[in-house]
Amino acid sequence: MKTDRQRVAVLFGGRSVEHEISVISALQLILAIDPAKFDVTPVYIAPNGSWYTGDALLQRSFYAKVPSALATLQEVILLPKPGVGGLLKIGSPESAVRELFTTRVDLIPIDVFLPVFHGQYGEDGCIQGLFEMADVPYTGSDFTSSAVTMNKYLCKRYLGAHGIPVLPAVVVQRGEAQADITGITDGITSQAGFSDFPLFVKPCNLGSSIGISRVKDRTELPAALAKAFKYDTIALVEPCVSQIMEINVSIRKATEIEASVVEIPVSSTGVLSYEEKYLRPGGKKSGPSQGMASLTRIIDPQDLDQDIKERVINLGKRSFELLGCSGVARLDFILDLSNGELYFNELNAFPGSCAFYLWARSHPRVLYTQLIEDMITTALRTHEVKASLDRNIGLKALK
Amino acid sequence: MITKFSAVLLILALLAFGWRRILTYLRYFQQEEYNRVRFLGWFKAQRAYDRRGSLVVLTVLLLNALIPAPWAAPLWGLLGSVALLVIVFLFEGDPRKTGKVKLNMTQRASKIALIAFVMYTLVALLPLGLVCFRCCESTDPLLVSAAFGLLLVQSPAWLLLDANRLLWPFERRLQESFVSDAKRILAELDPFVIGITGSYGKTGAKAALGELLTQCLGATFWPRKSINTVLGTTRAIREDLRPHHRFAVMEMGAYNIGSIKKLCDLTPPKAALVTAIGIMHLERFGGPENIYTAKSELAQALPPGGILVCNGDNPGARRMAKEHDKQTTLLYGMDSSSGPLDCLATDISFDDQGTTFVVHWRGNRYPGRTPLLGRPALSNALGAFTMACVLGADPAYAIACMANLQPVDNRLVLDRKGSVGFLRDAYNSNPTGFQAALEVLGTLPATRRILMTPGMIELGEQQFAQNKRVASIAAGVIDLAIIVGTVNREALLAGLSDGGFAVDKIITVDTRDEAFRVLTDNQAGGDLVLIENDLGDIHEGVVRF
Repeated sequence: MKTDRQRVAVLFGGRSVEHEISVISALQLILAIDPAKFDVTPVYIAPNGSWYTGDALLQRSFYAKVPSALATLQEVILLPKPGVGGLLKIGSPESAVRELFTTRVDLIPIDVFLPVFHGQYGEDGCIQGLFEMADVPYTGSDFTSSAVTMNKYLCKRYLGAHGIPVLPAVVVQRGEAQADITGITDGITSQAGFSDFPLFVKPCNLGSSIGISRVKDRTELPAALAKAFKYDTIALVEPCVSQIMEINVSIRKATEIEASVVEIPVSSTGVLSYEEKYLRPGGKKSGPSQGMASLTRIIDPQDLDQDIKERVINLGKRSFELLGCSGVARLDFILDLSNGELYFNELNAFPGSCAFYLWARSHPRVLYTQLIEDMITTALRTHEVKASLDRNIGLKALK
Repeated sequence: MITKFSAVLLILALLAFGWRRILTYLRYFQQEEYNRVRFLGWFKAQRAYDRRGSLVVLTVLLLNALIPAPWAAPLWGLLGSVALLVIVFLFEGDPRKTGKVKLNMTQRASKIALIAFVMYTLVALLPLGLVCFRCCESTDPLLVSAAFGLLLVQSPAWLLLDANRLLWPFERRLQESFVSDAKRILAELDPFVIGITGSYGKTGAKAALGELLTQCLGATFWPRKSINTVLGTTRAIREDLRPHHRFAVMEMGAYNIGSIKKLCDLTPPKAALVTAIGIMHLERFGGPENIYTAKSELAQALPPGGILVCNGDNPGARRMAKEHDKQTTLLYGMDSSSGPLDCLATDISFDDQGTTFVVHWRGNRYPGRTPLLGRPALSNALGAFTMACVLGADPAYAIACMANLQPVDNRLVLDRKGSVGFLRDAYNSNPTGFQAALEVLGTLPATRRILMTPGMIELGEQQFAQNKRVASIAAGVIDLAIIVGTVNREALLAGLSDGGFAVDKIITVDTRDEAFRVLTDNQAGGDLVLIENDLGDIHEGVVRF
C-alpha cells in the first residue's frame, strides 16, 4: 500500500544505563507524533543490543516482561550500507522460508530515523555513525556534535576555548586510578581550586546523574572515583559551587536557532539524583514516572532576574551553535549565587522528554507535535544537502 | 443423553483435576531438586496425600449407592465434576503463579508434567476399558469404582516420580552434553578460575569478589544469585562466559561428599576462597567431619602453586588452611585471638549507611566503609579484598571499591519505609548470621526492636539447641518477637524464656503472610524490624490437598 505519510522509525532503549528513561521518553514522543503525517515504526534496542519492532512495544507494561517477551517481537537490523531503504527483518521463520523462493529480503521501509536515546551508544554519536554509514536521514545532532557534547570534558574544553564560561575540571583515567589511587587523589587535591571540599566526581560520558558523587572530604574521594569508574573509563572532578542555582534552557534549530523559556529544577538534597530526576512521580499526582517531564521544577520563573535569563539564553544559543547541534537540546547552566557568575555545565543532545514541557510554556508556544515535525523536516533537509555532496571523484591514484 | 453428558464431564473434570494436581506437586518436587528421597520425605512429613478429591469421589459413590434412581448417577456425576473443578481452580491456586517459590516451567518440568499427565490419562481411562471387557461384572461395582476413583485422585504425586524416572536416562544424556560443552568453552576461553565454598557466605563473597575484581583488575564472570551446582554453573558458562572475561568466580555448593569435586572437575580452580565451615545442612552430611571433608575438596583441587584464602575467624576454615597449605595461603578475619591473620579488620561499627572499619594489610592501615551491614557481609568483603590484593589489585583502590559494593538480595539489607526500618535477612539463616544480624539490630538506633523469624533449619540434631541459643541472645536485644510457623516454635520460645523475655511480648503465627499482617497491625514509628530467615513453602505451615 502506497502511503503519503513519512515512515518514521522511532528508536529507543539501547545499551546505556539510561535505557528505561529512553523507553519513557520514546513512549511519550510516539503519542505526540501527528499520525496524519507520520507512520511510526517503534524500534526497541534491547539491553543486549538486539533490535526489535512490533506493536507490543507501544504498551508500557510490555517492558516488565523483557527479556522473555522479546521472543514475540520481530528482530530487525539496519545494515551499514547505503540504499537499503529501511530495516531488514531477521530471524523470523517465515522470512527464512520466503527467502527460499525469492531473492527479496523482508524490508520495513523507513524514510527517517528518530533516535530517542539517553546516554552511551545512542546520544554519543555511535548510532549517528551507523546512520551515516547507512546514508539515512536522522533527527537530532550529527555524530560529531553528539560525541563532543556527550564527553563532558571535551565539551567544556571546546566551549571554554570559545569564551563560554565553564568551571575548571580535572580528568582521571580509570587505569591510572586502579594502579595508584592514593597518588591520583594527592594529585587532584594539590591542584589549585581542588583543595577545598566539597568536590563533584562524575563519569565523563554519562548523563542522568548516574555515578555522580558529592565528595565532602579527601577520604571520600577514592570511593567516589571508584563509583564513577563503574560506569566509565574517564572520570571528571569539578569544584562544587556551594551557593548554586541550576538553570536549564532548551535550544532547537528549525529554520533558525530558538530558545525556550528557562527552568529551575528543584532538588531536595542539593544534587539531582537519578531517582529524583526520573523516579519521583510528577507533582501531586502519583503514578508511573513520566521521566524528565515529572521533575519538580519551576518553569519560566517570574522572579528570576531578566538579565540572568537573557544571559542563559544567549550562552545557550551560542554553545548550541558552536557545537554544531541540531534538533532539540537542553543546556544546563550553574549560577553561583555568591557572585552572580554563570557557568555552562552540560548539554543534552537528546534531553529527557525532549524538553517538550519547556517549549509548551514558551513564547510563542511550540507544541510537542510541532517540535517533532520540525525535527523530522530538518533531518530530511540535512540529509538532502549531504547527499548532494560529491563523494566520488573516480579512480585516479589506483589507476 | 444426560448420562453421557455427565460421564464426559466427569472424565474432563478428572483430567483437569489431575493436570492441576500434577503441577501442584511438581512445584514441591522442583523445590526438592527432583530428588525422590527428599520429595518423599516432604510428602511424609506433611502427609501431603489428597483429601479433598478423595472426599468428593467417596461422597459421590456413596450417594449413588444410597439413593438408587435412574437420575441419580448423572446428577451425582455432575455435582462431583463441579466439586473437583472448584477444588483445583478456585480453592487451590495455580502453582505457576502462587507461593513463595513458584513453579518454573522449565523444559525438564514441562516434560515431567506431560509424561505424568499421559500416565494419569491412561489410569483415568482404565475403568472404561474394564467396563468394555466386563471384567468387573462379578465383583461389587461400588468397591471397584471407589478403588479406581481413589487410586486416580491420589496418583499425581506418584506419577511425577515415575515420569521423572522414565525421563532420567534422556535427561542425563542431555545434561552430560551440556556439561561437556561448558567444559569446552571454559577450556577455550581459559579465564583465571577462583572457586568459593563455605557453609554460608558463598554468594555474598562471590558477588563482592566479582565486583572487586571487575573494578580493580579486569572483566570478571560470576554466575548471579546463588548458582552453585554443576547444572547451574554449566548453564551460566554456556550463556554468559565471554572471551573478554579475565577472571571467573565460581560458587561451589556442597550437597554431599564429592559434589565440590565434581564442580572442580567442571571449572578447575587456580585459587580458592573458603568463607566458613559450619553446621548447615548437617542432616544431609551426617556429621560435621563430613562437612569439612566435603568442603576440603576445593582446597585439594588447587594446584600446588595455587592460592588459598580462608576465613581465619572460622575454626573449620582455619583448619583447612593449615591442612591444605598452598604456595600462597592467607587468612582474613576480624578477631586475631585464635591465631595471626594476614588481613585483619578492626574498629568496626554500624550505622544506617552501612559498616565502617579499618583494614590492616601488609603493614598498612586502610580506613574504609561499605554499605553492606553486619559482620558476615564484612567478612565476605574482607575475603574478596584479600583475594583481589593477592591477584594484584591496589589495596587502596580495592578499599575504595568496597564503598560501592551492593548487598546481595535479602542478606541483611536495611530498607526504611517512613520511620519504620526493616532489616531483611531472609536468606537461609545460620547461627553465625542470625547472631550477627541481632548485633546490627541492637546497634542501629530504634525506639522498639522487633524480631520476626521462623528460626533456622537443616541443623540436624543441633537444630533445637541452636535456635534456643540465638533466641536467648535475642531476648537481650528485642522488644517484640514474632515467631513464624511451627518448625522451631518450641525452641525459640524456650530460648526467649531462658533469656528472661516477657511472654506477652511474643506473638506466634502460622505463616509469613500472617506475620506480616501482625507486623502491620503492631508497628509504630521508630520501629526496627529484623526479618530473619524465610523458609520455603516446603517448610512453612501445613499443606493440605
